[in-house]
Amino acid sequence: MHDPMSGRGRSSRMRMGSYGGKPRFKKNGNDPLNTKEEVPELLQKQADELLDSGEEIKVAVSTDLRFDSTYGKDWILITEKRIIVFNQNTVIGHNLKEVSLDSIEDIEILEMYGNNILKIITSDNAIEVARYSKKYTQKFNLAVSELDKLSQNGSGPDGNKKNGGRRRPGARPGADKTRCDKCGQPIPSWSGICVNCVQNRKLIFRLLKYSFPYLHVIIPALLLMLVIRFVTLYTPILSQQLIDHIITPVANAISISKEQSLPKETWVLPETTWGPLQGAVDMLGNWFGPMPAGGSFGHLIGIIILMGSIHVFSLVTSSVRGYMMAWVGQNVTRRLQNEAYEHLNALSIDFYQERDTGNLMSRITSDVSRLRDFISNGLQDIIGDSLTLIYMCIIMFSYNWRLAFWTLIPIPCLIFFTIFFGKKMSKVYSVLWKRYANISTILSSTIPGVRVVKAFARERYEISRFSDMTHQVFHGEMNAAKLGTLYRPIMEFITYSGSIIIWLVGGWQIFQGDITLGVLFMFQSYMMRFFGPVRTLCQMNERFIRAGTSAERVFDILDTPPSVADKQDAVALPNIKGDIEFRDVHFSYDNEKDALNGISFEVDAGEMIGLVGHSGAGKSTLINLITRFYDPNQGSIIIDGHDSQDIRIKALRQQVGVVLQDPFLFEGTIAENIGYSKPGASRFEIIAAAKAANAHDFIVKLPDGYDTMVGERGARVSGGERQRISIARAILKNPRILILDEATSSVDTETESKIQEALERLVQGRTVFAIAHRLSTLKYADRLVVLKEGEVDEIGTHEELITQGGTYAGLCEKQTELSKIRAW
Amino acid sequence: MQEAIKVTDDLKFLDADTISIQRNAFGELVIQLPDGNTHSKVEPIRSFPVSETTRYIVLIDSEGVEIGIIEDMRNLTVKSREILAEELQKRYFMPKITKINSIEGQYGVTHWNVETSQGDVEFGMRTRYDIVTLENGRVLIKDADGNRFEIENYEKLDPKSYALLQTQI
Repeated sequence: MHDPMSGRGRSSRMRMGSYGGKPRFKKNGNDPLNTKEEVPELLQKQADELLDSGEEIKVAVSTDLRFDSTYGKDWILITEKRIIVFNQNTVIGHNLKEVSLDSIEDIEILEMYGNNILKIITSDNAIEVARYSKKYTQKFNLAVSELDKLSQNGSGPDGNKKNGGRRRPGARPGADKTRCDKCGQPIPSWSGICVNCVQNRKLIFRLLKYSFPYLHVIIPALLLMLVIRFVTLYTPILSQQLIDHIITPVANAISISKEQSLPKETWVLPETTWGPLQGAVDMLGNWFGPMPAGGSFGHLIGIIILMGSIHVFSLVTSSVRGYMMAWVGQNVTRRLQNEAYEHLNALSIDFYQERDTGNLMSRITSDVSRLRDFISNGLQDIIGDSLTLIYMCIIMFSYNWRLAFWTLIPIPCLIFFTIFFGKKMSKVYSVLWKRYANISTILSSTIPGVRVVKAFARERYEISRFSDMTHQVFHGEMNAAKLGTLYRPIMEFITYSGSIIIWLVGGWQIFQGDITLGVLFMFQSYMMRFFGPVRTLCQMNERFIRAGTSAERVFDILDTPPSVADKQDAVALPNIKGDIEFRDVHFSYDNEKDALNGISFEVDAGEMIGLVGHSGAGKSTLINLITRFYDPNQGSIIIDGHDSQDIRIKALRQQVGVVLQDPFLFEGTIAENIGYSKPGASRFEIIAAAKAANAHDFIVKLPDGYDTMVGERGARVSGGERQRISIARAILKNPRILILDEATSSVDTETESKIQEALERLVQGRTVFAIAHRLSTLKYADRLVVLKEGEVDEIGTHEELITQGGTYAGLCEKQTELSKIRAW
Repeated sequence: MQEAIKVTDDLKFLDADTISIQRNAFGELVIQLPDGNTHSKVEPIRSFPVSETTRYIVLIDSEGVEIGIIEDMRNLTVKSREILAEELQKRYFMPKITKINSIEGQYGVTHWNVETSQGDVEFGMRTRYDIVTLENGRVLIKDADGNRFEIENYEKLDPKSYALLQTQI
């Protein structure tokens, strides 16, 4: 199926391409979620011919793919009566299809590899109406739900039916967002937030608010820094004084005396005066013994002492300032980290499902420390460096504006090359960084997997893969070296050319008698001091953006409200009996696909309910609602006559115990892990719980007994042992409602019987919900609830369901066959 | 001595020249097997979508149960082959990138402007980990929305495209 007119297609493609103009960081125009796009005039005309009077186009969406597999735009227009489809590839002009809404039986979105197809099914045939890339997945999902509404309105009472049968694949729960809602740009995987839409100014201001409580330290630190900068800038002025007032006159006098061949004793050297300090200066001079112009020499020593003390002063005060700012930075870090972690704990499960653990962890660690650097160094550096540059310019221009002007000439060059090299370097280094990351990927997969490598004798292959990578690193490093070796000479040349200009212009001005030698030297040393601050300011923008991004990542946590929260008048309900009623419970993770679709049944206190069904039938969802990890979208769960949403979450969860398929043990001892459910549990209680959970025997056989460390870095306990520890944890809590989520599915048969025994003890006198794939585990259940596609399929005792011969009976039969094999 | 089990015994290869693949009015694939059984709403799946596009095509029925495997599409009758190829062409859309005009971006997001076998296109990447380099210079790319692209051999790209790609892999 090749397009014979691909040549013609190409030119139109260029015009019609969905990304006209320069797309980079474009904020709108290419809105991926707009279902009422502007229809080209030609199409509009053709469509108008078809429409009845008063008929209105409600939805207009364009595709980016054609049915001949080339990129291009087709159109779908939907009115309240019909769908009009324009396919452009097969015939010259527009090939037009028309389907009336009344004839539509079903709408299907086929999600395929790299593209999707929208299919309309009528009673006697099916039409593929649109083909589009994954970019428009959401747009078309939206368009289809609008189409749903339109076609339901038209078809009378029938339309009220929920669109249960229609397949509507959408965003899966837990999948993170790939594009920004606001600007439509892809969201970088590492950050999870749209860097384009970060509003830097607001964020930085909000960040600064965190430092307000420490203003009593920040302001003195800032003042100290300004003093340091000011004082150190004074040293070139001192050396100018030294040269012009002491060294030059003295050297001149000496050369005159030498020309006259006067004996050293008779030299007459100029005495300088130093205002009120004269006495001290004379004393200093005399201290070195009698000499000509002792006062001048004292003056020299005085200036040198001043220079030395300025240096020492600035060193000491910067250390003090550094310490002060470190204190501020650490305080801000601590506050931000604590606040973020506290809020993380308050957030509901859905927040975690949408975000990757490593990502959340790095927000609390590395992003917060980047913010600390910004507050304690970055911001003050920027203020200090800009003021330094201004100071220097003022001093230089007040001494001699002409020379100052010439001195500043190389600065634009300096700025240009700093930015230029900064960009190049970051590119080269990011490539290099990727290459190094590739090397660590190989190492981290082959070193732990060394047994496999050796067992299959694949050492040669791994070595060659590795050497390919090192070869690439070599190239990357050489590129970096190329840039590095260029960077230094160019920068040096710019500074050097600056000093040459000063020699040239300053020298000429000395000849004219405009300036003195001291001023020339002073300009030279200011020139050298331009380099650092200019570089800092060139990177300022980058620093602000980075800090803004980090701030957004941290504030994103703080700003997300928990989706499940206590109502203000929530009741505590300290003693739950355990009567539970589900009343027409609907729930969807993503508002597209229903996970639960009208569940209703009642459970008496103390009853054990087995939940049965295929994966995806809604068993785990039901349990998530009982524990209030989520709240139902519609309908309610009534516990002891109270709507679960009116019960305080904490009170409810204190009385619900959960045993999961793969129980999680925290870093700590076994005793701590069992006691986690009941703060302050006594040793006696812990042992009793372990005994009841059939865990006591294996625990005491461990060398460290109940004090054995478990968790990531602790002792390895088997799956079955972990399970029993977690059952002990649940027993200790003595919950009124107990949830067993596949509690025995990941252990061997023998261990299972032990766990089963423990569970039997645990379920006594509680309301229990048990999920199990192995139906034999549910033999003690009072009633079984069979779920199918989010609805209750069957409900009753084991015997009832078997005689009924429905879904459950079928499942049982299959498993009996399996267990025969297992027994054998 | 007992003979070792042949691993190929469990494979349900279809006798390619005796089956027929058609399309019904709903555009669904219908397959007729030599034993007379017919299945409608058949979905063809490539076992190796990346490395072997015309061989080992698995056919599953509307319940998701495997009907069998076509070892090599070439053995099908012309008519069947055309229909199957057309269906696969729809199901698997992975244009080949022939030229990279630009790769721009910052903070981990890159915007690519490329020429492909199916026309010019632009796309965005969320992370460089969605670019996979295989042996012989083949590169597979998955963009921010889940679209797929491939480069047959990046060493054969023009120097500018090659240099641009080098910054990403």
